[in-house]
Amino acid sequence: MMEDSGAAVGSGSVMETVVEIVGAGRDFHRGQEVVRALVELSLTLDAGELAALIGPSGCGKSTALNLVAAVDRPDRGSVRVCGIDIATATEDELVTLRRRRIGMVFQAFHLVPHLTVEENIALPLALDGRRDSERVRALIDRVGLAHRAGHYPSELSGGEQQRTAVARALVHQPRVVVADEPTGNLDSRTGAAVIELLDELRRSEGAALLLATHDAKVAAAADRIYALADGRLVD
Amino acid sequence: MILRALLLRPLLRRPWRFLITVIGVATGVAAVVSTIAASRAAVASFAEGVDEVAGVARLEITRSGGLPDATLATLRSLTSEALLIPVVEDTVLLMELGDGVRLLGVDLLLDAQVRPVLSGDDPLPDLDATLLGFGALISRPLATEIGVEPGDELTVSVGGRPRTIEVAALFEADGLSAVWERVVVMDVAPAQELLGKVGRLDRIELVPRDGVDVEDLQTRATELLTSDLTIAAPGERRRFAEQMLASLRFNLVALSAISLLVAGVLIATTLATSVVQRRFVVSLLRSMGASRRKIAAVVLVEALGIGVVGGVIGVAAGFLGARLALASVRFTVASVVRGIPASEIRFDPQLAALGLAIAIATALAASILPLKEIMAVPPLQGLRTTPPQRMARGSRLMALAALLIMAVVVVILARMPAIRDLPIPALTSALVAMAGLLVGSGLLLDSLARIGHVPFARMRGAALQLAAAALSAGRQRAAWAAGSVAVAIALAVAIATMVSSFRATVESWTDSGMRADLWVRPLAADTGVWVGRLDPEIVGIAEDLFGAETVDPFYSQTIDYRGRPVSFAGAAFDVVRFHGSVPFPGRDSAEVFDLAWRERAAVVNEPFATRFDVVEGDTIRLDLPGGVLEREVVGVFRDYSRSHGLVVVDRSDFLGFFPDAGPDDMALFLPPEIDPDVARERFFDAVRGRFLVEALDNRELRAAVLSAFERTFAITTAMYLVTAVVAVVAVLTVLLTLVGERRRELATVRAIGGSRRQLLAMVVAEAGLLGIAAASAGTLVGIAVGIILVKVVNLQSFGWSLELVLPWSSMAGMAAWVVVTCMIAGLPPALVAARLQPATVLREEG
Repeated sequence: MMEDSGAAVGSGSVMETVVEIVGAGRDFHRGQEVVRALVELSLTLDAGELAALIGPSGCGKSTALNLVAAVDRPDRGSVRVCGIDIATATEDELVTLRRRRIGMVFQAFHLVPHLTVEENIALPLALDGRRDSERVRALIDRVGLAHRAGHYPSELSGGEQQRTAVARALVHQPRVVVADEPTGNLDSRTGAAVIELLDELRRSEGAALLLATHDAKVAAAADRIYALADGRLVD
Repeated sequence: MILRALLLRPLLRRPWRFLITVIGVATGVAAVVSTIAASRAAVASFAEGVDEVAGVARLEITRSGGLPDATLATLRSLTSEALLIPVVEDTVLLMELGDGVRLLGVDLLLDAQVRPVLSGDDPLPDLDATLLGFGALISRPLATEIGVEPGDELTVSVGGRPRTIEVAALFEADGLSAVWERVVVMDVAPAQELLGKVGRLDRIELVPRDGVDVEDLQTRATELLTSDLTIAAPGERRRFAEQMLASLRFNLVALSAISLLVAGVLIATTLATSVVQRRFVVSLLRSMGASRRKIAAVVLVEALGIGVVGGVIGVAAGFLGARLALASVRFTVASVVRGIPASEIRFDPQLAALGLAIAIATALAASILPLKEIMAVPPLQGLRTTPPQRMARGSRLMALAALLIMAVVVVILARMPAIRDLPIPALTSALVAMAGLLVGSGLLLDSLARIGHVPFARMRGAALQLAAAALSAGRQRAAWAAGSVAVAIALAVAIATMVSSFRATVESWTDSGMRADLWVRPLAADTGVWVGRLDPEIVGIAEDLFGAETVDPFYSQTIDYRGRPVSFAGAAFDVVRFHGSVPFPGRDSAEVFDLAWRERAAVVNEPFATRFDVVEGDTIRLDLPGGVLEREVVGVFRDYSRSHGLVVVDRSDFLGFFPDAGPDDMALFLPPEIDPDVARERFFDAVRGRFLVEALDNRELRAAVLSAFERTFAITTAMYLVTAVVAVVAVLTVLLTLVGERRRELATVRAIGGSRRQLLAMVVAEAGLLGIAAASAGTLVGIAVGIILVKVVNLQSFGWSLELVLPWSSMAGMAAWVVVTCMIAGLPPALVAARLQPATVLREEG
């Protein structure tokens, strides 16, 4: 059950489980062929935790993140995010979950090209029918883009775009942030800066972070590491 | 291989886009073809048939109102050099057909050498009937149509008098002009008697014998003729009628051509969207070595395909549509040149080729910008996501400058005089104004987004804000759709302005000018077009019944005045001076006619005054058969029943030059004590069995006049409906493309919390904003074009000064309808957007 105020459920409990996946699987059909992107995945993420998903390309990391981000539903098993069962939730429940509880950061940034930095950051609030100019501006300052607030994504560097995406993912104070290879399109120095920013912000906001990455250094800083191969967890 | 990858496979997978564009092109071409085909058929016996009916005659001798058949004797010395063929001709109502036919009286013994139809094996099986009786030759198609055979009798109404003729023989019309299906041929002598032209001919045709030079023959004939007779090639008659009809036909075709403009925008939009959708494939092919030329050739092939398929369908639909339009066009034509029987619509290969050429030319012209775009697509390595396309300051200033220049051009052209009586500069100015909508729509959308940005952002919910931003960003594509919708609404508003102005003017004109209690006219054909004139005896019957002081017969004859056809008319000034008739601006009608009666002066209509720069007080000189008539002009009256010049004198003056003429119609001004319905019954009792006429009371007459105008505008009303359909299709196509282009963005919005409803609302809002922008701009330009049509085009084309009446409620209704329709057109792409699976799209798009 979602609370309209957006306040965290049981916010005082550090050990509250915000993400629980048990035996989840996801298949894709390509013509006659069935591709088992995720065979069987089980993981948990507690409030405020940083968990890393590592594995080679095509192992199912993005599929897993999409399930946690409530943009996809599992074919098998269960995925519960902030107490909501993704497999059985209604469309409206999933939309509300994405608006209020989940933030997403993509490898390809995925900013809306015809909105400015400020507008992109404010977009999740706008979709929820809310306005909070102070928070938006505060986030812009925190990600170091005050001088670029009125610019469009095409006018920003990769790092600036990803910083915008990070601010957007946190503007609505989500419980869970899902980041799919956020540094994949950035050079190592910029990538490190973005990860540092992402981690700092989510800590201050009290959000859990599930991060897919190839970067061993990033993975090493995680509270938990889940290694995937061929759609399954490996030891 | 490139063709298969870029065109054929995508076409097979998604054929709807190609089909929609083809339908749009076909609609535009059909509008043009049907207008031309209908207007040609409506005047077939004049425009195309004159030469064929004339046969091999190289020269004609004519005179307004006919020439005495004694002229043949004057030309006897030429018989060694030429055949002299006497001809009488008139339009009569064939009762079995319910429509007018051309009755041609010729010397059947001589004419087989002149006219092709009489060269059959045995065209005159019953010589007695055809030479001595009222035997007639009719075409086999006409005979089949009315179900008659040789030996059967037919009834024709001549001057309102029913006469019987016999079908003597049938002739084949294969390979001949369609006009022959509406021609009845008789020997000249019985035809003269039937048509009331005993002792008179309409023309004498000269067919030079072998070896005779036509110019020499003309010179010798001229020496033998009196100065009131004209000798010229048969084409001169066609020129006369075509002059009278030129403005009407030109305006009809020009209006239909605007629908082509919208079709062209639709093609450009479709081709541009196909470029967008194939951008990745194109860049991949470029990476692998495909040249720009080869890629561009694909776009040209697609444009050609659209043009050819759309053209073929459009031509076919055009000929079918012409059948529907024919009645309306004939009615309009009849207001200009009376008594022209139409032929049926026949397939004309030349017109079909023209329609196809127009479709292909439009498609290729529309492919220029998409071609430019596809040739600029870089190889894969250089391919970037398309950045937002908001207008840079420089581009905005350039667009604004272009619009200002176009506005100046519009004003300059609108103030220019007509060229050969055709409002070419004025119609060009209307076209430039429409083109300005296409040029300015991008600026408009950009401005809308900029201006609306702040208030939209303050609204709860992101749909409007996202919609405005998306429109601005997709400005180039959306501008074309907005432009085509704006053109459609501008055309609709312009035509509505013209129609409402016309209607208000004509209503006012009928209120002030139609004062007769009864109005007698010849029987109309089933199409409502009058055929023929009244027999002079009918005037006598009416005078005997109601008194000469109540009867106003109206006579007219087409004459040449300063090289142009005008009507010379006679009316009973002694009658109308007590009742008034047509309205004279600022003056009492009865007083003007009283002055004309006392001073033996003339009154002229506005078209005459405008064309020949004549004002009250001027004296005009008319060259008429048998002499010259000079009259002072004492009044200029408003006349919306004809578009060519009219000079009216007292009937005594008219009948002095055309003594055998029957009136076109007759007005009765009854004393107050006589009820019009009773009077009508008495009149019909008097003519029953002898004449076939109609008698309308004042109310019926006004209704008939207004009905005529409604029918006149029916064809133009149909055109703007067609254009509106094409414009909506353009909106649908563009929005589907914009949604396709923005899949990643839309999926992102879904992923970060956007609901399906919000995406649906966003795309529908985009369509609505596009509709609002288009409706606003289109309405403004439509008002301007409407003013040009009312105040300039009509004046230059027809000499009519109209009161300008802007139909505000209609315009508001149209604007609202456009916005709603655009939003409805936005639903399919909105549903596509709402159904996007964010996970799938984001995975595909990287």
